[in-house]
Amino acid sequence: MPIHNTEQLLKAVALVSAVLAAIIILWYLVRRPPLGRLTKSLLLVGLGVFPAVVSLTGNIAGFEYTLSRPFCGSCHVMDPYLRDAQDPKSKSLASIHSHNHRFGENSCYNCHADYQMFGAITTKMNGMRHLFEYVTKYANTGPDGEGGPPIVLYKRHDLEAKRIDEAQFNGQMNGMCMQCHSSRAAIWVEKHEAFAEDVRAMKQLCIDCHNEIHPLALSRRTTAKQEGSK
Amino acid sequence: MKHLQVKKLVLLSAIATLVALAMMVVAIVAPRPLLLVLAMSVGQGVGLLSLALYLLAIVLDLQAGGASYEAALESNREAVDDERP
Repeated sequence: MPIHNTEQLLKAVALVSAVLAAIIILWYLVRRPPLGRLTKSLLLVGLGVFPAVVSLTGNIAGFEYTLSRPFCGSCHVMDPYLRDAQDPKSKSLASIHSHNHRFGENSCYNCHADYQMFGAITTKMNGMRHLFEYVTKYANTGPDGEGGPPIVLYKRHDLEAKRIDEAQFNGQMNGMCMQCHSSRAAIWVEKHEAFAEDVRAMKQLCIDCHNEIHPLALSRRTTAKQEGSK
Repeated sequence: MKHLQVKKLVLLSAIATLVALAMMVVAIVAPRPLLLVLAMSVGQGVGLLSLALYLLAIVLDLQAGGASYEAALESNREAVDDERP
Protein backbone atom coordinates (compact mmCIF):
# COMPACT_ATOMS: atom_id res chain seq x y z
CA MET A 1 0.00 0.00 0.00
CA PRO A 2 1.72 3.22 -1.16
CA ILE A 3 1.70 6.04 1.39
CA HIS A 4 1.02 9.49 -0.10
CA ASN A 5 -0.70 11.36 2.71
CA THR A 6 -1.30 11.45 6.46
CA GLU A 7 -4.51 9.42 6.22
CA GLN A 8 -2.68 6.54 4.51
CA LEU A 9 0.17 6.74 7.03
CA LEU A 10 -2.30 6.53 9.92
CA LYS A 11 -4.04 3.59 8.28
CA ALA A 12 -0.71 1.80 7.87
CA VAL A 13 0.19 2.43 11.53
CA ALA A 14 -3.24 1.15 12.59
CA LEU A 15 -2.94 -2.01 10.49
CA VAL A 16 0.60 -2.79 11.68
CA SER A 17 -0.48 -2.27 15.30
CA ALA A 18 -3.50 -4.53 14.77
CA VAL A 19 -1.29 -7.28 13.32
CA LEU A 20 1.18 -7.02 16.23
CA ALA A 21 -1.65 -7.12 18.77
CA ALA A 22 -3.20 -10.12 17.04
CA ILE A 23 0.16 -11.96 17.03
CA ILE A 24 0.56 -11.48 20.79
CA ILE A 25 -3.04 -12.52 21.52
CA LEU A 26 -2.89 -15.58 19.26
CA TRP A 27 0.44 -16.57 20.84
CA TYR A 28 -1.24 -16.47 24.25
CA LEU A 29 -4.34 -18.35 23.06
CA VAL A 30 -2.31 -21.10 21.37
CA ARG A 31 0.53 -21.52 23.89
CA ARG A 32 -1.39 -20.62 27.09
CA PRO A 33 1.81 -19.77 29.01
CA PRO A 34 1.70 -19.25 32.81
CA LEU A 35 0.75 -15.68 33.79
CA GLY A 36 4.23 -14.59 34.81
CA ARG A 37 5.62 -11.08 34.66
CA LEU A 38 6.70 -11.37 31.03
CA THR A 39 3.37 -12.80 29.88
CA LYS A 40 1.44 -10.14 31.77
CA SER A 41 3.58 -7.38 30.25
CA LEU A 42 3.24 -8.79 26.75
CA LEU A 43 -0.52 -9.13 27.19
CA LEU A 44 -0.75 -5.55 28.43
CA VAL A 45 0.90 -4.47 25.19
CA GLY A 46 -1.27 -6.80 23.08
CA LEU A 47 -4.56 -6.08 24.84
CA GLY A 48 -3.99 -2.44 25.76
CA VAL A 49 -1.23 -0.52 24.01
CA PHE A 50 -1.52 -1.78 20.42
CA PRO A 51 -5.36 -1.76 20.37
CA ALA A 52 -5.24 1.81 21.74
CA VAL A 53 -2.94 2.79 18.84
CA VAL A 54 -5.31 1.06 16.38
CA SER A 55 -8.25 2.89 17.90
CA LEU A 56 -6.59 6.31 17.89
CA THR A 57 -5.02 6.19 14.43
CA GLY A 58 -8.06 4.37 13.03
CA ASN A 59 -10.34 7.08 14.39
CA ILE A 60 -8.31 9.89 12.88
CA ALA A 61 -7.93 8.08 9.55
CA GLY A 62 -11.65 7.24 9.59
CA PHE A 63 -12.59 10.82 10.36
CA GLU A 64 -10.33 12.10 7.57
CA TYR A 65 -11.92 9.66 5.14
CA THR A 66 -15.42 10.80 6.10
CA LEU A 67 -14.50 14.24 4.73
CA SER A 68 -13.77 12.88 1.26
CA ARG A 69 -16.06 12.86 -1.77
CA PRO A 70 -15.85 9.04 -2.27
CA PHE A 71 -17.17 8.57 1.27
CA CYS A 72 -20.18 10.81 0.62
CA GLY A 73 -20.75 8.97 -2.65
CA SER A 74 -20.58 5.54 -1.03
CA CYS A 75 -24.36 5.58 -0.49
CA HIS A 76 -25.97 4.86 -3.87
CA VAL A 77 -28.49 7.67 -3.36
CA MET A 78 -25.60 10.11 -3.82
CA ASP A 79 -24.44 8.59 -7.13
CA PRO A 80 -26.00 11.28 -9.37
CA TYR A 81 -24.41 14.01 -7.27
CA LEU A 82 -21.06 12.24 -7.37
CA ARG A 83 -21.19 11.72 -11.14
CA ASP A 84 -22.09 15.36 -11.69
CA ALA A 85 -19.31 16.57 -9.39
CA GLN A 86 -16.78 14.39 -11.22
CA ASP A 87 -18.02 15.30 -14.70
CA PRO A 88 -15.45 17.65 -16.27
CA LYS A 89 -18.07 18.86 -18.79
CA SER A 90 -20.63 19.81 -16.17
CA LYS A 91 -21.04 23.51 -15.50
CA SER A 92 -22.74 23.05 -12.15
CA LEU A 93 -21.31 24.78 -9.09
CA ALA A 94 -20.68 21.36 -7.55
CA SER A 95 -18.58 20.28 -10.51
CA ILE A 96 -16.70 23.57 -10.79
CA HIS A 97 -15.80 23.39 -7.10
CA SER A 98 -14.79 19.74 -7.33
CA HIS A 99 -11.97 20.16 -9.79
CA ASN A 100 -9.54 21.88 -7.50
CA HIS A 101 -7.06 19.48 -5.97
CA ARG A 102 -6.95 21.12 -2.54
CA PHE A 103 -10.65 21.83 -2.23
CA GLY A 104 -12.32 19.43 -4.61
CA GLU A 105 -11.36 16.11 -3.07
CA ASN A 106 -13.48 17.05 -0.06
CA SER A 107 -15.93 19.23 -1.98
CA CYS A 108 -19.11 17.71 -0.44
CA TYR A 109 -17.85 18.32 3.08
CA ASN A 110 -16.35 21.72 2.31
CA CYS A 111 -19.68 23.08 1.06
CA HIS A 112 -22.13 21.21 3.29
CA ALA A 113 -20.28 21.18 6.62
CA ASP A 114 -21.22 23.58 9.39
CA TYR A 115 -18.43 26.08 9.67
CA GLN A 116 -18.82 27.42 13.21
CA MET A 117 -16.64 26.58 16.21
CA PHE A 118 -18.27 23.19 16.75
CA GLY A 119 -19.00 22.75 13.06
CA ALA A 120 -17.17 19.44 12.77
CA ILE A 121 -19.20 17.97 15.64
CA THR A 122 -22.60 19.21 14.44
CA THR A 123 -21.77 18.08 10.91
CA LYS A 124 -20.94 14.57 12.12
CA MET A 125 -24.14 14.53 14.18
CA ASN A 126 -26.03 15.43 11.02
CA GLY A 127 -24.09 12.67 9.28
CA MET A 128 -25.52 10.20 11.78
CA ARG A 129 -28.96 11.54 10.87
CA HIS A 130 -28.14 10.96 7.19
CA LEU A 131 -27.10 7.41 7.95
CA PHE A 132 -30.33 6.78 9.86
CA GLU A 133 -32.38 8.24 7.00
CA TYR A 134 -30.45 6.13 4.50
CA VAL A 135 -30.94 2.87 6.40
CA THR A 136 -34.63 3.50 7.11
CA LYS A 137 -35.73 5.13 3.85
CA TYR A 138 -33.28 4.57 1.00
CA ALA A 139 -31.44 1.31 1.59
CA ASN A 140 -33.69 -0.73 -0.72
CA THR A 141 -34.33 1.92 -3.37
CA GLY A 142 -33.30 1.53 -7.01
CA PRO A 143 -30.28 2.97 -8.82
CA ASP A 144 -29.61 6.57 -7.77
CA GLY A 145 -32.23 6.16 -5.03
CA GLU A 146 -35.17 5.99 -7.46
CA GLY A 147 -38.37 5.14 -5.63
CA GLY A 148 -37.18 6.75 -2.41
CA PRO A 149 -38.41 10.03 -0.97
CA PRO A 150 -36.88 13.19 -2.48
CA ILE A 151 -33.60 14.36 -1.03
CA VAL A 152 -33.80 17.68 0.75
CA LEU A 153 -31.01 19.99 1.80
CA TYR A 154 -30.91 19.37 5.54
CA LYS A 155 -30.47 23.03 6.49
CA ARG A 156 -33.51 23.99 4.40
CA HIS A 157 -35.39 21.12 6.00
CA ASP A 158 -34.38 22.47 9.44
CA LEU A 159 -35.61 25.93 8.41
CA GLU A 160 -38.96 24.57 7.22
CA ALA A 161 -39.30 22.55 10.41
CA LYS A 162 -38.47 25.76 12.37
CA ARG A 163 -35.47 24.12 14.05
CA ILE A 164 -33.39 27.08 12.90
CA ASP A 165 -34.50 30.63 12.02
CA GLU A 166 -33.90 32.44 8.76
CA ALA A 167 -30.89 34.36 10.07
CA GLN A 168 -29.18 31.11 11.05
CA PHE A 169 -30.05 29.55 7.72
CA ASN A 170 -28.78 32.53 5.74
CA GLY A 171 -25.65 32.71 7.85
CA GLN A 172 -24.94 29.06 7.22
CA MET A 173 -25.59 29.29 3.48
CA ASN A 174 -23.53 32.41 2.81
CA GLY A 175 -20.96 31.36 5.40
CA MET A 176 -20.11 28.30 3.30
CA CYS A 177 -19.40 30.41 0.22
CA MET A 178 -17.67 33.19 2.11
CA GLN A 179 -15.11 30.84 3.64
CA CYS A 180 -13.29 31.27 0.32
CA HIS A 181 -15.14 34.11 -1.42
CA SER A 182 -14.45 36.83 1.10
CA SER A 183 -16.74 39.40 -0.56
CA ARG A 184 -13.93 41.94 -0.19
CA ALA A 185 -11.93 41.30 -3.36
CA ALA A 186 -12.02 44.17 -5.85
CA ILE A 187 -13.41 42.08 -8.72
CA TRP A 188 -16.12 40.64 -6.52
CA VAL A 189 -17.11 44.07 -5.19
CA GLU A 190 -17.24 45.42 -8.76
CA LYS A 191 -19.55 42.63 -9.88
CA HIS A 192 -21.74 42.60 -6.79
CA GLU A 193 -21.75 46.30 -5.99
CA ALA A 194 -25.52 46.70 -5.83
CA PHE A 195 -26.07 44.06 -3.17
CA ALA A 196 -22.61 43.52 -1.63
CA GLU A 197 -23.73 44.85 1.76
CA ASP A 198 -26.83 42.64 1.73
CA VAL A 199 -24.69 39.57 0.98
CA ARG A 200 -22.28 40.42 3.79
CA ALA A 201 -25.21 41.03 6.15
CA MET A 202 -26.61 37.63 5.14
CA LYS A 203 -29.79 39.25 3.83
CA GLN A 204 -29.13 38.19 0.24
CA LEU A 205 -28.17 34.57 -0.36
CA CYS A 206 -25.37 33.71 -2.79
CA ILE A 207 -27.40 30.73 -4.00
CA ASP A 208 -30.39 32.94 -4.88
CA CYS A 209 -28.42 33.92 -7.99
CA HIS A 210 -25.80 31.16 -8.22
CA ASN A 211 -28.42 28.44 -8.07
CA GLU A 212 -27.07 25.87 -10.49
CA ILE A 213 -25.56 23.81 -7.72
CA HIS A 214 -26.55 20.23 -8.57
CA PRO A 215 -28.84 20.75 -11.60
CA LEU A 216 -27.69 17.72 -13.57
CA ALA A 217 -27.90 15.47 -10.56
CA LEU A 218 -31.36 16.68 -9.66
CA SER A 219 -32.61 16.39 -13.23
CA ARG A 220 -31.80 12.68 -13.08
CA ARG A 221 -34.16 12.34 -10.15
CA THR A 222 -37.63 13.39 -11.26
CA THR A 223 -39.06 13.28 -7.74
CA ALA A 224 -36.37 15.55 -6.42
CA LYS A 225 -36.83 18.03 -9.26
CA GLN A 226 -40.57 18.23 -8.68
CA GLU A 227 -39.97 19.03 -5.07
CA GLY A 228 -37.52 21.75 -6.10
CA SER A 229 -35.07 20.80 -3.41
CA LYS A 230 -31.41 21.70 -3.63
CA MET B 1 -10.30 -20.88 42.53
CA LYS B 2 -8.96 -17.37 41.88
CA HIS B 3 -6.38 -18.85 39.54
CA LEU B 4 -9.14 -20.25 37.33
CA GLN B 5 -11.06 -16.98 37.51
CA VAL B 6 -7.99 -15.01 36.41
CA LYS B 7 -7.29 -17.38 33.51
CA LYS B 8 -10.92 -17.17 32.36
CA LEU B 9 -10.89 -13.38 32.53
CA VAL B 10 -7.67 -13.17 30.51
CA LEU B 11 -9.06 -15.63 27.96
CA LEU B 12 -12.29 -13.63 27.64
CA SER B 13 -10.31 -10.40 27.34
CA ALA B 14 -8.08 -11.87 24.60
CA ILE B 15 -11.06 -13.06 22.54
CA ALA B 16 -12.94 -9.76 23.01
CA THR B 17 -9.85 -7.81 21.90
CA LEU B 18 -9.59 -9.94 18.75
CA VAL B 19 -13.25 -9.17 17.97
CA ALA B 20 -12.70 -5.44 18.60
CA LEU B 21 -9.54 -5.43 16.44
CA ALA B 22 -11.38 -7.22 13.62
CA MET B 23 -14.15 -4.60 13.65
CA MET B 24 -11.69 -1.72 13.64
CA VAL B 25 -9.54 -3.25 10.88
CA VAL B 26 -12.56 -3.91 8.65
CA ALA B 27 -13.56 -0.24 8.99
CA ILE B 28 -10.03 0.82 8.03
CA VAL B 29 -9.81 -1.51 5.03
CA ALA B 30 -13.39 -0.93 3.81
CA PRO B 31 -14.50 2.43 5.23
CA ARG B 32 -18.25 2.27 4.59
CA PRO B 33 -20.46 4.54 6.71
CA LEU B 34 -22.09 1.77 8.75
CA LEU B 35 -18.81 -0.06 9.31
CA LEU B 36 -17.11 3.15 10.46
CA VAL B 37 -19.89 3.89 12.92
CA LEU B 38 -19.81 0.30 14.21
CA ALA B 39 -16.02 0.34 14.57
CA MET B 40 -16.00 3.70 16.35
CA SER B 41 -18.78 2.70 18.76
CA VAL B 42 -19.21 -1.06 19.26
CA GLY B 43 -15.63 -1.96 18.26
CA GLN B 44 -14.03 0.52 20.62
CA GLY B 45 -16.52 -0.30 23.35
CA VAL B 46 -15.62 -3.98 23.16
CA GLY B 47 -11.92 -3.08 23.10
CA LEU B 48 -12.26 -0.92 26.19
CA LEU B 49 -14.26 -3.61 27.98
CA SER B 50 -11.65 -6.25 27.18
CA LEU B 51 -8.86 -4.04 28.56
CA ALA B 52 -10.93 -3.49 31.72
CA LEU B 53 -11.36 -7.27 32.03
CA TYR B 54 -7.64 -7.79 31.68
CA LEU B 55 -6.83 -5.16 34.30
CA LEU B 56 -9.41 -6.76 36.60
CA ALA B 57 -7.69 -10.11 36.08
CA ILE B 58 -4.33 -8.56 36.99
CA VAL B 59 -5.77 -6.96 40.13
CA LEU B 60 -7.33 -10.28 41.19
CA ASP B 61 -4.05 -12.02 40.53
CA LEU B 62 -2.11 -9.47 42.57
CA GLN B 63 -4.63 -9.78 45.41
CA ALA B 64 -3.96 -13.49 45.43
CA GLY B 65 -0.24 -12.73 45.62
CA GLY B 66 0.47 -13.79 42.06
CA ALA B 67 -1.17 -17.13 42.84
CA SER B 68 -1.98 -17.89 39.23
CA TYR B 69 1.69 -17.79 38.28
CA GLU B 70 2.66 -19.92 41.26
CA ALA B 71 -0.21 -22.34 40.56
CA ALA B 72 0.77 -22.58 36.93
CA LEU B 73 4.39 -23.25 37.84
CA GLU B 74 3.23 -25.87 40.33
CA SER B 75 1.02 -27.60 37.79
CA ASN B 76 3.90 -27.52 35.26
CA ARG B 77 6.23 -29.07 37.86
CA GLU B 78 3.68 -31.77 38.64
CA ALA B 79 3.25 -32.56 34.97
CA VAL B 80 7.03 -32.90 34.56
CA ASP B 81 7.21 -35.12 37.66
CA ASP B 82 4.41 -37.34 36.32
CA GLU B 83 6.23 -37.84 33.06
CA ARG B 84 9.40 -39.00 34.82
CA PRO B 85 9.80 -42.80 35.00
